[in-house]
Amino acid sequence: MDRSEYAKQLKSITVKKKKILQYIVLPIVLIIGAIAIYFYKEYNRTHKDVSDLNADYAVTATNLLNEFESNEQSSNKKYWDKVIEVEGIAKDLVKDAKGFYTIVLGDPETMSAVRCSIDSAHNNEANSITKGKNIKIKGICSGFNSDELLGSDVVLVRSVVQSTN
Amino acid sequence: MKKIIIVCIAALTAITSFGQKVFTKTAEVYFDATSPSSPEKIEGINRSGTCVIDTKNGNMQFVALMKGFAFERALMEEHFNENYVESHKYPKAEFKGDLKNIDKVDFTKDGTYTLKVKGVLSLHGESKELETEAKFIVQNGNIKASTAFSVQLSDFKISIPGLVADKLSKTAKVGINCSLQSLKTNP
Repeated sequence: MDRSEYAKQLKSITVKKKKILQYIVLPIVLIIGAIAIYFYKEYNRTHKDVSDLNADYAVTATNLLNEFESNEQSSNKKYWDKVIEVEGIAKDLVKDAKGFYTIVLGDPETMSAVRCSIDSAHNNEANSITKGKNIKIKGICSGFNSDELLGSDVVLVRSVVQSTN
Repeated sequence: MKKIIIVCIAALTAITSFGQKVFTKTAEVYFDATSPSSPEKIEGINRSGTCVIDTKNGNMQFVALMKGFAFERALMEEHFNENYVESHKYPKAEFKGDLKNIDKVDFTKDGTYTLKVKGVLSLHGESKELETEAKFIVQNGNIKASTAFSVQLSDFKISIPGLVADKLSKTAKVGINCSLQSLKTNP
């Protein structure tokens, strides 16, 4: 093997290496990078603000309670984990020991209510409501609980006050 | 005349204001299932637990909606609901039991009491006996109650996938805090 042939061979090897790098290694690195970014983002994903979500259902507090009372199972299927907008009289505004708000919607004459745990990022709107007024609240339905003494409750989580008119 | 009526009403409310039952609908339920080797916290908190206690015979009931547990990471909350407790199938956790020696508690005077609680905890479609202690603090007419206990996940058929086995503890520590108010029942 003379020198020039050796140099040729060397060159073809480096060309091959380049091609391998360009068509195999680079795409693999890119794909792995994309997957890593996806998992990182997915892992650190925060909750969506309910005020940015469209309501799947809009109901009055009384109708929602009636629906759950007449058939808990089918209502759970319909509403559970869904964004719902509930209209009703603000019976009560509860602030717990740690500063978290719950707005209680429904007929003031009964123990039953739609209880809306307020997303703490929206505490200000919750704090400014007037008791006894008709308001609209949007939140995610987390279920229903009924007790013969305490009445029936539908619970909404991550709720936001939608309108106070 | 007016004064007499007011006094009568005040006296009546004083008698009835301490009813036989106390309750809350804003109990805080906290759980921590972080394994000692895990770099991140696996914990959830629910602020809408319902609890009712009969102060005469000690009967009590506690309900928390599983979907009401909030996690810092959205992904963790989804996994909790979908894969672990399957809250679409089993939306509630429920405890029914008795507080022993509740007659020793004077709810009208300031004081601190520790009572034994025994009952059955149901979640994820399984039921298991549970025994723990609850602390009651009566102060200025307010009643605060708290308890803590551990739950073995396997008792409730909550399986842990191998991928997260090093992060998720086999037992979850549960803590409950609430302030109770008396239930005004119509005669």
